[in-house]
Amino acid sequence: MKLFAWQWLAASSLLLAAVVASGETRPRYGGTLRIEMRAALSSLDPADRNVPDSFGRRNVTALIFDTLVTFDDTAHIKPALAESWQAAGQELRLHIRHDVKFHDGTSLTAETVAASLRFANPSWKVMAEPDSVTIQGDFSEEELLAQLTLSRNAIVKRDAGKVSGTGPFHIVDWQSGSRLTLAAEDNCWRGRPFLDSIAVEMGKSYHDQMTSLQLGRVDLIEVSPEQVRRISQEGRGIASSMPIELVALVFAREALSPEEQALRSALALSVDRTAIRDVLLQGAGEAAGSILPIWMSGYGFVFSSGVDLSKARQLRGQAATIPNWRLGYDTGDPLDRLLAERIALNAHDAGLALQTTSSPSPDLWIAHLPLEGDAWNSLGKLADQMGVPLTKRHGSLEELYAAEQAILKSGRIIPLLHLPASYVASPGLRNWRVRSEGTVSLDDAWLESARQ
Amino acid sequence: MLISVLVLGLAIAAHAVDWSAPEHELAHKIVALTGNAAISLSFENRSSLGRRDAEIIQNGLRGSLVAMGVQFVQNDPAAAKVVISFSENVTSYVWVAQVQKTGSDTAVVMVQVPRAASIRSARESVPINLRKVLLWSQAEQILDVAVLEENVRVAVLSPEKVFVYRIRGGNPALEGAAEISHSTPWPRDLRGRIVPAGDHMLDVYLPGIACHSSAGGAFILNCREENDPWPLIFASSGGAGTSSQVMAQAFFEASRNFFTGVETPPGGWLKIVPQFYSAALIPRDGDALWLFASVNGSIHIVDGAADRVTNLKWGSDLTSLRTSCGAGWQVLATSPVEDGSDSVRAYEVPERDPVAVSAAVDFSGPISALWAEAKGDSAVAIARNPETGNYEAFRLAVACGQ
Repeated sequence: MKLFAWQWLAASSLLLAAVVASGETRPRYGGTLRIEMRAALSSLDPADRNVPDSFGRRNVTALIFDTLVTFDDTAHIKPALAESWQAAGQELRLHIRHDVKFHDGTSLTAETVAASLRFANPSWKVMAEPDSVTIQGDFSEEELLAQLTLSRNAIVKRDAGKVSGTGPFHIVDWQSGSRLTLAAEDNCWRGRPFLDSIAVEMGKSYHDQMTSLQLGRVDLIEVSPEQVRRISQEGRGIASSMPIELVALVFAREALSPEEQALRSALALSVDRTAIRDVLLQGAGEAAGSILPIWMSGYGFVFSSGVDLSKARQLRGQAATIPNWRLGYDTGDPLDRLLAERIALNAHDAGLALQTTSSPSPDLWIAHLPLEGDAWNSLGKLADQMGVPLTKRHGSLEELYAAEQAILKSGRIIPLLHLPASYVASPGLRNWRVRSEGTVSLDDAWLESARQ
Repeated sequence: MLISVLVLGLAIAAHAVDWSAPEHELAHKIVALTGNAAISLSFENRSSLGRRDAEIIQNGLRGSLVAMGVQFVQNDPAAAKVVISFSENVTSYVWVAQVQKTGSDTAVVMVQVPRAASIRSARESVPINLRKVLLWSQAEQILDVAVLEENVRVAVLSPEKVFVYRIRGGNPALEGAAEISHSTPWPRDLRGRIVPAGDHMLDVYLPGIACHSSAGGAFILNCREENDPWPLIFASSGGAGTSSQVMAQAFFEASRNFFTGVETPPGGWLKIVPQFYSAALIPRDGDALWLFASVNGSIHIVDGAADRVTNLKWGSDLTSLRTSCGAGWQVLATSPVEDGSDSVRAYEVPERDPVAVSAAVDFSGPISALWAEAKGDSAVAIARNPETGNYEAFRLAVACGQ
């Protein structure tokens, strides 16, 4: 049976409904939400480029900070800290919301907003006026607004190494890489959250998180994709996003010759993605030949994800020399190790030489790339990472397709899978949801055990 | 942007979708690649489009291609092979044509077609009928709706504004709008009431804020930070056109989403009950039976003698109506939210335990407000439609069973 993209969305929503079902009361105020996550953040600054992107990082950022604009559930831009905006020529003027305060008690001003955007985007020309900021540059209104939704463009007041936001929770205690305590911001411009506080434990493996949940020490955890089916069958409250994480093989450099490019194509054709998904991932996610998942682009099926060993062998046969590729992976992740071994076997079947390695400088590696909720943002970010120039950063669906094709033709990346971000909560956590882009919305979450 | 539709009892008519523009656009893009040469054409449906729609679109595309001079062939290796896939992304249908010409790479062209919202039909026929009529729909959040003059004027309460619309020829025209001034941010799960007033147009109740419209002339709203009790239950004294009185009021917690538990029932004396989200009142001889949806999730039934915690599986919103049906007073209660949808059912309380007297009326999204209307014999329920994203206000009225 085919599972259509829209049906997938519906199925995803049903899964989510299982979590939020039994909502027989209005939300209650109070209580402390306990969260565990894999990422061990060394900084809470959303623009700190030394901190790897992860859904965990985005979740923490969304609790403390706000962006100027956001995407709504129908993928349209909606106001946040910017109340409205106008584009004129190469300028975008954003009018800043009044009566918003940072957690340190100071008012949100155009100057602070401009300073925050300049810090995150040194190449941008941002000017502050009394009630607005103007951004000048060679980009379209749509492109810039989409950029402003990104977590790294959250508005931050930086003062002597400390960061302050305008989000629903303020920082109470922060132990870099291990522990974060947040408290409800009573005067949050979006309204005080229902939860009184949130305690976040970082650097916890999937296994440790599940143990904590089973022992009742935590209310919300992340779940590895291969565990989703089992946990669903156990009847736990699990919620998953749309497939939003791209698992891909990424080469350290571009192909230097057509022959090397052909060998990379042979490797792409040799990987049995469907078997990997069905066996290693227990059916989670989707086999991917495209960077963007089908639910996001609508055309992803055009890039084949099927295995074609005869064509792979044919391409390999045309090569005069066969390089001995070293495939890197996260040695701390058991699933990555299995993936690497399976890919090496598939490559061997096509006559390619691929060895797994724990070396810090492999020829290629298994990358887990969290995509953005917006197709152009996702492609733009990836193109920057791969060093692939894009002629357009926003435009029609056909231009999106052309941009994706350009990145794939660079030979730097071989898509393997699109995986959802999945979370499990204790039954007492209510009204939480997973956004399509993989983050958890706790804005309106509340605890059944809370006392008003 | 406010997108509003006043429906007031009108049925929504389903309409056929016109696919001709995107059909023509895609056909044009295909012909730009193939020219007028003969092609081998096939289709696949990867989308949620139904079989009938898919067939209509296939026929339309064939017709457009023929009109552009394209001929179709089968099993001709020299002909360009065109595979059209009906797919979709999060916002639109996406129709993709993969064009394979002999000796060339596959070329891809596509069009994007906004997805129309589907329309669900209502159902139900039961002894006491609970009738649901769409009053108002808009993209902006609705807290409450008050019909100021039947089929003539309606007021809509949003978090930051009150809008007054005049209905002309079935179409709403904005007559006035007024901002609601407040110095502190609203609490989450914001609730509010808008109630027609006797000597002026309307009163507005929000957490910690009370507003009164001006008595005449332009629509002006005077708001002040004070904790007036909110009206909960009304009862009209007679037939149509007669005035109604407030049967019960309660104080709302200014920074939260519940009533404090202090009631001012008929007679004006204060009554202390548990904090609650909503309440219903059934007058009895010389006394009254109260039903509360308390903040701990349980339904309390309180009479002059006792406060009883029930095991009723109701939602957080209930109210009561005085009607000419059945026992004369019915309680409307929401259901526990399951699968994201919600429902309201009418109950009577012959002794002390509620008995369902109507079938459940379904809502596609969770109900965020259920308030008795000022005339006392109907209620307004607000729910967000998950398909359109719009907030919808419905009037719920009890009709006596046949």
